[in-house]
Amino acid sequence: MLLEVRDLHVEFRTRDGIARAVNGVSYAVGEGETLAVLGESGSGKSVTAQAVMGILDTPPGRITGGEILFGGRDLLRMKEEERRELRGARMAMIFQDALSALNPVLSVGDQLGELFVVHRGMSRKAARARAVELMDRVRIPGAAQRVRDYPHQFSGGMRQRIMIAMALALEPALVIADEPTTALDVTVQAQVMDLLAELQREYRMGLVLITHDLGVVADVADRIAVMYAGRIVESAPVHDIYKAPAHPYTRGLLDSIPRLDLKGQELYAIKGLPPNLTRVPPGCSFHPRCPMARGVCRAEVPPLYEVSEVRGSACHFWRECLDGDGR
Amino acid sequence: MATGGEPVLEVSGLVKHYPLTRGVLFKKQIGAVRAVDGVDFTLGRGETLGIVGESGCGKSTVAKLLCSLERPTAGSIRFKGEDITRLSGRALKAVRRNIQMVFQDPYTSLNPRMTVGDIVGEPFEIHPEAAPKGDRRRRVRELLDVVGLDPDFVNRYPHQFSGGQRQRIGIARGLALRPEVIVADEPVSALDVSVQAQVINLLDRLQAEFELSYVFIAHDLSIVRHISDRVGVMYLGRIVEIGRDAEIYEHPTHPYTQALLSAVPVPDPEAREDRERIILSGDVPSPADIPSGCRFRTRCWKARERCAVEVPALAVPAVFLERPAGPAAHDSACHFAQEGRVVPPESSRANGDGPG
Repeated sequence: MLLEVRDLHVEFRTRDGIARAVNGVSYAVGEGETLAVLGESGSGKSVTAQAVMGILDTPPGRITGGEILFGGRDLLRMKEEERRELRGARMAMIFQDALSALNPVLSVGDQLGELFVVHRGMSRKAARARAVELMDRVRIPGAAQRVRDYPHQFSGGMRQRIMIAMALALEPALVIADEPTTALDVTVQAQVMDLLAELQREYRMGLVLITHDLGVVADVADRIAVMYAGRIVESAPVHDIYKAPAHPYTRGLLDSIPRLDLKGQELYAIKGLPPNLTRVPPGCSFHPRCPMARGVCRAEVPPLYEVSEVRGSACHFWRECLDGDGR
Repeated sequence: MATGGEPVLEVSGLVKHYPLTRGVLFKKQIGAVRAVDGVDFTLGRGETLGIVGESGCGKSTVAKLLCSLERPTAGSIRFKGEDITRLSGRALKAVRRNIQMVFQDPYTSLNPRMTVGDIVGEPFEIHPEAAPKGDRRRRVRELLDVVGLDPDFVNRYPHQFSGGQRQRIGIARGLALRPEVIVADEPVSALDVSVQAQVINLLDRLQAEFELSYVFIAHDLSIVRHISDRVGVMYLGRIVEIGRDAEIYEHPTHPYTQALLSAVPVPDPEAREDRERIILSGDVPSPADIPSGCRFRTRCWKARERCAVEVPALAVPAVFLERPAGPAAHDSACHFAQEGRVVPPESSRANGDGPG
């Protein structure tokens, strides 16, 4: 396995008390594989990614437990210098908002070239040439001229391409993309996702795609990890989950997508709101919103039950859910 | 959702240009951003018209024009036969009561220093004739109840609510004056998936309860389809195709609509292999520099010489007129309109097992 997160715990100290943002998350990504981490705001999907990249703000954040194995070595036990060498070269991140992730006072050529200067010891001139090549690679028209432009001179889709170019510059083994297309229009989203998928195939990199969009996930992912209130509630190959979800939360999300045959009828809606992370409900954190909840759900935290060799569900009643009961 | 009858809104030739100027002291106009550039549609009583399009297509400007938050450069908006773009003062104020807006971002569209009661009751301050003073408190509580919030929340502040609840507050404010038309500009796009469905259901229920007509503006095509009776597709300031929802989603004839529909990710991994995606090249041109002829031609794979010289009219294309009227015979502004098979964003899950 390229990346293995094991039982990760992250807390934030807030005015209202301790927020348990990540509460025992485990997942793994192999070479050339795409893992989609699906969740709503506050589910802990981005915090997990920040912990993997080592860009978590500490304080207020604190990693209180777990391991993050990258190529077999625990990142959490490494020295900061070692991690810095890995970042950019072996693992890279693509952010949602390219405009705030890029430096506004440096030309995109300088920002792309910097990677080669710092990590590969290239001269400025050689680095500039590589920057143009990269911009060509992500299909930015007129790369040779545009290399001198600043981020604000590009459209949203083009900026996102530059972010992708920057992430892939040193051909990392692992890329984490945090909502890479959420800010983009659908036609541009299609262009960017296509490009990302193509480059991933070419470089055989592992991709962790963080998103809330069930459509994007179905399009590109091999496996899905569904997060809720800091936990993974279901983890499965993409085809299994869409065919028959084994957790009522996953099922609720899929059912709330508007469908043709239900036009004019009420949409299925998961009742209530995601919990406040400083006061996560006892037992299964989804129980106040769950149509299947019973006494045991309020008392016992469900472990990730083994549904099949490649599939897990953190629901006491996953069998019923899988059979489609209790809606 | 009954359609038909006399239209509540009739929009024709609607144009909004924002001047581009140079110079500080002597401002000289050097061009214009043609945000809305000739839009026509009608909205029937109790009907929902969905407007879809990508950022910069002018859909939000249309919303502002409908609510008289902006004055159009040209064209007319008739509310029950009366052109509201020519009104001012008292008459305009009276009409505004009937067309209310629900905004996209429930975080910035509510004043953080006002209590929920004051926010929802503010329309009564502006239109005192809508509710007598002594009655207002009761009306506000009633409105909160209608949108599914606890009436005892009147003294709380917006930050004490979640995004979905704030959007309900915005909807309650929109309903306060008992309008006939509600213009909703991306009302659910800032919300989490599980909360979106709740708000959509609320809007649906309110429509039936108060006989509202909706102009529903959004970029999420599957949500628009769920709630709309008719759908208009906008590109660079114009409607390029408009028709009943099934006509647009299953029998699109404009290449832009086809590309847009094909780009929507389908929530079904089985469909990955057999879908054909139309990937458009390039970006949307600037509305300050709109291409001649058909404005979509710079990104269109069908474009020929004619497209550069002749602006296609929004009408039923001639090819579809000859045959008996089928679903492809709806307004489409393309010289080479042709029915295209595109996997619509939701049909793929249509035969799966549904919720009980």
